[in-house]
Amino acid sequence: MKLISRKTLLLFFLPGAIFMGAFLIYPIFTMVIDSFNQVGLTGERTFIGLDNYIKAFTAGGFLKQLKNTLVYIVVAVTVETAIGLLFALFFELNYRGSKIIRSLMMAPLMIAPLVAGLTWKLMMSSSFGIVNELLTRVGILSSSSDILWLADSKWSLLACCIADIWLTTPFMMLMILAGLQGLDNSMVEAAKIDGASLFQEIFYIKLPSIKPVLLTALSVRIIDAARTFDIIWAMTEGGPNSSSETISIIIYKTLTRYNDTGYASAMAVVFIAVLVIFTLVFMQSLWNPKKKA
Amino acid sequence: MKKKIEIGKRVGIIASIVLTIGWLIPYIYVVCCSFKPGAEVIAVPPSFFPKTFSIESFIDLFNRMDAGKYLTNSLITALTSTVIALILGALAAYAIQRSGLKLSIFLVVLVLCLKMIPTSSIVVPIYELICNLGLYDTKLALIIVYAAINMPFVMWTMLSFYEGIPTTLDEAAYVDGASSFQTFRKIILPICAPGLATAFIFTLFLAWNDFLVALLLTSTNAKTFTVGLAGFLSAYNLDLGPMCAGAFVFSFPVMIISLAAQRYIVQGMTAGAVKG
Repeated sequence: MKLISRKTLLLFFLPGAIFMGAFLIYPIFTMVIDSFNQVGLTGERTFIGLDNYIKAFTAGGFLKQLKNTLVYIVVAVTVETAIGLLFALFFELNYRGSKIIRSLMMAPLMIAPLVAGLTWKLMMSSSFGIVNELLTRVGILSSSSDILWLADSKWSLLACCIADIWLTTPFMMLMILAGLQGLDNSMVEAAKIDGASLFQEIFYIKLPSIKPVLLTALSVRIIDAARTFDIIWAMTEGGPNSSSETISIIIYKTLTRYNDTGYASAMAVVFIAVLVIFTLVFMQSLWNPKKKA
Repeated sequence: MKKKIEIGKRVGIIASIVLTIGWLIPYIYVVCCSFKPGAEVIAVPPSFFPKTFSIESFIDLFNRMDAGKYLTNSLITALTSTVIALILGALAAYAIQRSGLKLSIFLVVLVLCLKMIPTSSIVVPIYELICNLGLYDTKLALIIVYAAINMPFVMWTMLSFYEGIPTTLDEAAYVDGASSFQTFRKIILPICAPGLATAFIFTLFLAWNDFLVALLLTSTNAKTFTVGLAGFLSAYNLDLGPMCAGAFVFSFPVMIISLAAQRYIVQGMTAGAVKG
């Protein structure tokens, strides 16, 4: 039975489509056009072909930011997954009060990324920051100005990663925990009877069974980490010396500070294309639309 | 053997409690700092707990910036945009999920792709559009932009909820002569209440927490709290006390709501992922 005709589908989709068309699809079209042009301060456009794209991929372009973004994704997502998995295994235990502990752990989940960035900026300050004070007291640093987390180009990107890890590990933990709780317990029991060690139980039984959940969580986090803006903006604004500048940040800076709309559009088009392709490839392997329709 | 498991469990319990407390320390630190007098926040060496309890920072927060107005702006824009995105998104997702046409597969993929677009790269065309419409620095501008940006997310969440509702319900309504819209409003929406609640809470937080869109589209009238808070970074350089107080005021309701509505949040995050 056909419940929704083509006409009804379009009619129901239309109101939402107007919003998304105006503020999501139209901007992309403008950017694609702008990316082939040199856009002046007053908005006049001169067609320059692929120059903006060539500029992006040559020295002085966005290769450094691309590398920073990749480092950010790899460091943040790897650590989040590792800690999230460890936490999920602990939090899987049921005992009196375990629900309260789980709830508390998930409380920071919805904090604004900007607030998370500000929090860590405060804690990582070189003079009055609690992080360096702690490291000095336990003897890792000899004085609290040994590591200038936010002002040293060696550490700034890592500092942003730490804030990201703090904010999003609960999400990773939640996803893995949901996967673990959905497992059929008899498999784990059987493995135990066969004498599997804790290590074997985790790596040969539990992890392979939650693979789909893990992959979904990873894809969500990889895309979100790639898009991160607020945290980095709050902590370093991409500095010092572009050491923590990611693609999101450089696009925003090129637009608002250097007013080079054409060049920024070219970078944005590349960025969006990569994210969309990643999503499609990833979803293809996990989810088959024909199955649902 | 049994004893060994008991010990293992006890270690696990202690570990999970310690980890939780450890994880919350940065937040607790901000809360502590917001109750310190201004000078103590930037004292060297720093202390974790306030030596003297004071609400100076909160008073400063409301003196330095129009905190009440910014909070109201944040609340109005977040709520209104969420309601719009929820109504239109739920309607569209219903049609997409139930139609089974080839077109609907295309729309699902389109929605997913739109969901992945990084806001930072499209804000400037949006800014130009809003200026051309004469809506710069108005709450209306933020409302329509948030509604648009968050709509793909609402659709994606609702799609997975509709999937769990048997189509026999729709068919029964159809046989009884209900139109598609009546079926949607009278039959499907009431059943989907938990799904709607999930999408509502998430979208509300997304809009409430937004910084970038408000940073570009507002200057004084429609400024939201996040933009005001970020102002403490540059303009009032060492006013970290009020900044902490602001961070606390802004995120405390979020923490309370996320604790109270945890069931919906967990559902929202794991929707589609666990069911496979």
